[in-house]
Amino acid sequence: MRDQSHMEQVERWANFVRDNPTQWKKIHTKFINALFQKNAEVIQRLLQQPNGKQKLIELYDIKNVEGCEWLK
Amino acid sequence: MDRQISDRNILDAFCEEFCAIIDKYCQYIVVSGFLAIASGRTRGTEDIDMIIERISRDKFEALFRELEYHNFLCMQSASFVEAYDYLTENLSLRFTKKDKPVPEMEVKFAKDLLDTYQLRQRIKLPLTGLKVWFSNVNINIAFKEELLKSPKDMEDARHLRIVFKEMVDEHEIKEVKKMIRELRL
Repeated sequence: MRDQSHMEQVERWANFVRDNPTQWKKIHTKFINALFQKNAEVIQRLLQQPNGKQKLIELYDIKNVEGCEWLK
Repeated sequence: MDRQISDRNILDAFCEEFCAIIDKYCQYIVVSGFLAIASGRTRGTEDIDMIIERISRDKFEALFRELEYHNFLCMQSASFVEAYDYLTENLSLRFTKKDKPVPEMEVKFAKDLLDTYQLRQRIKLPLTGLKVWFSNVNINIAFKEELLKSPKDMEDARHLRIVFKEMVDEHEIKEVKKMIRELRL
């Protein structure tokens, strides 16, 4: 359960975005791209496991398996 | 606001490319979490939620084919007929790029007066730096505070209230919350 201090951090950051319109985006982009970079690394590791492909199909609830180039 | 292209993140680029195609065929809005994230909220998401106006099957076929041509993949089906059935049953279609499982765009048809109202009130938000139509800020705050209500959603609403302070209209938020209670709860 998140406590009040977490909401205070949300407010601090929102005020930073509001008060620094030319600075927030670079920091934010680094953060968002890092999440996707980590995701891509884990997917590559999973694909090397014996049941990795099946796990990913379940994880992303993929029905159009043939169309997914990244699974091949 | 001037911004370098390199400042665009993976979600921004994916969203703009997808929206540019949808925009040729119908009205759309990007709603919920991505509006908060594109406005600076630092949290992760794998999907972007989109509502589009209801379109005919023929028009949808042309849209589906163009998405495929631009390397977007429908996760549920390669058949536009099956995909269209999802939409008409008020289920969402999920699209990714063919070479990556994320991010994904979740697309739904407008299903009631509230969605139609959102489409009518759509706006562009210069703070995001994106050429994308968003659902208006007051409607998003109302949905997050009245319907969704998870800690993540309440934090998104708080973020929106601060960064868009000049746009927050308590009267509109109250009216939309009333519509949510009548149509969704």
